[in-house]
Amino acid sequence: MENTYDCIVIGAGNAGLIATLELVKKNKKVLLLESNLTPGGFATSFKRGRFEFEASLNQITDYGRKENPGKIYKLFEKLGLNEKIELETIPEAYHVYETESKENFKMPFGIDEYIEKMEEYVPGSYESIKNFFSLAIEVKDALAYIEESKGGINEEILNSEYENFMKVATHSVDKVLDALKMPKKAQEILTSYWIFLGSPTENLSFVEFATSLHTYISLGGQIPKKRSYEISILLAEEIEKNGGEIKYLSTVKEILFKDKKIAGVQLTNGEIYKANHIISSVSPTFVYGKWIPSPMLPKEALKLTNSRVLGAQGFAIYLGLNQTAEDLGLNDYTYIIHHSLNSNKEFQHRSSIKNSSSIAVVINNANPLCSPKGTCIINLISTFFGEAFEKNITEENYFELKDKIAEEIISTFENTTGIKIKPYIEEIEIATPVTFARYGGHPGGVIYGYKRTGLDNTLPRMLTMGKENYIKNLQFCGGFGVYASSYSSAYLSGDLAAKLTRRDIASEERNKEEDAWQS
Amino acid sequence: MAKLNLNGLGKKEIKKFYEIPKERDKIIRDTSASQINTNFLINKIAKNLHPKVQYVKVAKIIEENEETKTFVLTPDLETSTKQLAKFKPGQYISIEVPIGESLYKRPYTLSSSPKKVEENKYTITIRRVPYGKVSNYFLDHVEIGDAFKISAPTGELYYNPLRDANHIIGIAGGSGITPFMSMAEAIYDKTLNCKLTILYGVKSKSDIIFRERLEEITSKTDNVKLAYVMVVDDDTEFASSFIDRELLDKYLEEENSFFVSGPLSIYERMNEVLKEYNLPIKYIRHDAFMSEMEIYKEEEYNVKILTHNEEINIKCNSKETILAAMERNGILAPSRCHVGECGFCRSKLISGKVKTFNDTIRIADRQYNYIHPCASYPESDIVLKLPK
Repeated sequence: MENTYDCIVIGAGNAGLIATLELVKKNKKVLLLESNLTPGGFATSFKRGRFEFEASLNQITDYGRKENPGKIYKLFEKLGLNEKIELETIPEAYHVYETESKENFKMPFGIDEYIEKMEEYVPGSYESIKNFFSLAIEVKDALAYIEESKGGINEEILNSEYENFMKVATHSVDKVLDALKMPKKAQEILTSYWIFLGSPTENLSFVEFATSLHTYISLGGQIPKKRSYEISILLAEEIEKNGGEIKYLSTVKEILFKDKKIAGVQLTNGEIYKANHIISSVSPTFVYGKWIPSPMLPKEALKLTNSRVLGAQGFAIYLGLNQTAEDLGLNDYTYIIHHSLNSNKEFQHRSSIKNSSSIAVVINNANPLCSPKGTCIINLISTFFGEAFEKNITEENYFELKDKIAEEIISTFENTTGIKIKPYIEEIEIATPVTFARYGGHPGGVIYGYKRTGLDNTLPRMLTMGKENYIKNLQFCGGFGVYASSYSSAYLSGDLAAKLTRRDIASEERNKEEDAWQS
Repeated sequence: MAKLNLNGLGKKEIKKFYEIPKERDKIIRDTSASQINTNFLINKIAKNLHPKVQYVKVAKIIEENEETKTFVLTPDLETSTKQLAKFKPGQYISIEVPIGESLYKRPYTLSSSPKKVEENKYTITIRRVPYGKVSNYFLDHVEIGDAFKISAPTGELYYNPLRDANHIIGIAGGSGITPFMSMAEAIYDKTLNCKLTILYGVKSKSDIIFRERLEEITSKTDNVKLAYVMVVDDDTEFASSFIDRELLDKYLEEENSFFVSGPLSIYERMNEVLKEYNLPIKYIRHDAFMSEMEIYKEEEYNVKILTHNEEINIKCNSKETILAAMERNGILAPSRCHVGECGFCRSKLISGKVKTFNDTIRIADRQYNYIHPCASYPESDIVLKLPK
């Protein structure tokens, strides 16, 4: 039937694209709806003058390489994508600076190299860092076991084989690093990576942090040669090649129900598309809050959503410089500029409108041909927390405030690293939470989904996701999904949503068969 | 792995692991089931600053000179548009204009100060051009009260304090004066904090637009200067006859950014002159509308347009862009800037060959044969798939 699908996927970001491609490859009839003109969501690029800027990607993690594949490599292999993209490798893990003390530490990829470098910076840290990474491996194994057991966890196996994991599973990063007797300075250098996860170490679960950092340091990071948009457009092309439909400039107005079951969606232009299954990368905040008629909405869905905290808001400055990275002394790929190396203090700093910290990424140092000869591209991305913006922004002061914050972030980068970049700005674009709200449509312009904190870290989300699937045949994915934000999390959450939807479809078909038998 | 010494973390933690779902559930149960807050200030500002569409009416028409009119636009209050969106001086709006069976979209730079948005007013200033279907329609047929759909303000020719010199030399050719009119107004009413020297190229005295207002502003503020350059009539007391080093040297300050707005010829001429100064290209910016292309061969090609649910066959002349042919035939394709800059009309070339100017297609898009129909001329029969 025309306009009737097995599944409708809302949002063609990383997660929605992967979910759609998986389903169409399993011969499901799928419609992917996207409110923008192009696929990818934040995984996109844009042109200014002679530069093509990367909009959001710092690095794809958990990819690895053929000989040592990560989860993303395996996922892309399953979907036949690996030979169709060109990836460049990121040279080092990160170079972290503290603005006040100007102390800085440059950390390499590779577990052994990382441990040795840390011992060089913080003599006496060797044992605790080594134990940290061993523990991280056990945590990963335990999580894999929990995922495989699909709810049927054998307590004895967990308690005997993953005893260390069981001891740390409920604790914050701070608590476990103290228990490992890691020297304070080493803790600061190690945890400076927290900013990629969006929660300070007193809130962030150790499980979450240890698995992320171990994956990053052991497998390294990659970026596509033609920006993240290269992957977005490849996924869109593959979807259409496999019979999937993508409809751009399409905004959902309402989710439709029939006999209390999901029946489709209505768009803002009045068009109706039917399906019994929906995958949404739009946040539960908006899906439950705006699209689902209240009689269809269980109280628990309201309660869960009200109990959650929104994550980081984004502020990005994209600079095309008219000198090479080498000439300017921009020798690293990832600069982390923290006001304080103590993540909890840093979080406070980033909860103020005066925040001038950033992650600065010099794209040319991984992808030398990303800009014309004699130039380079640097993206400075900051994150703001809490109500820093809400309390200070108005429509009237918006343009001025935007330039002022950008100026402070750039100046702080210059003063901290001693590298001048301002005189060389040939092109500049600034994206604020307002820009991200417009383009991504997310509540409050957040870019990291819900904040990972306490019992809303990934592990608790994973352990309860079946139970919290309040509306039958509706799955969430993307930054507001179980795995929270990041490119690899989004790809994996798209994969998960597709699997769960296939399971839902199969169980419905079984029910239909049984009904047929009985009648 | 071997048991680690996790000082202070003991067996009781294992019990806590099994309690995670229960503990999480308790937090959820204890939270209010009140309506979810979906009103976020940031999203509201985003919507107001970047509306998908603005509905306006012509409130006033001002005759600037024989060939030029300024149209004052205000919200069409019978629609959802209650307040016009803010903009930066130098930006443009794209206006949708149905003429007969055809449906055109054209970009026009806003000539008013952003401060006028407080009074809910935009102005666009349109000059007659030979064969300018939409421009001439405006001059001959548009009346007070006529309603239009326009885009949010957009465009890249505006002053950025982090990128540009604080002194802008605005080189205007003909109706290319509009962005500098807006900047001059904004400097005068202090919404823009930079200095501006306008070198205004016109054919003759009667060709000048905004003469009175510009001279009034330059007499009242030192931050805006103005010189005319007369390229056809020769009146050396009134104006220079062309832009050269001698003229520029008179106005140069320590650091200068050159903004060029007008026909392609003026941009090419400026590039020649500015070469002598050995300026990094960051100091030369131009508006999006300067692009044009000379096509010598005249042929007619078949163009097949694939939309979401139909196939439309039209003819396209080799001297018109594919978007122009679609507009002529009343096909409403997404578009905005009309010069290959904004990416709104991005479509997939299924077969055929095109010649493209101002090629700003993204690298990955090019790999999959995407083009900007607004900046592409056909060189063969063509099959084009529009975004759904």
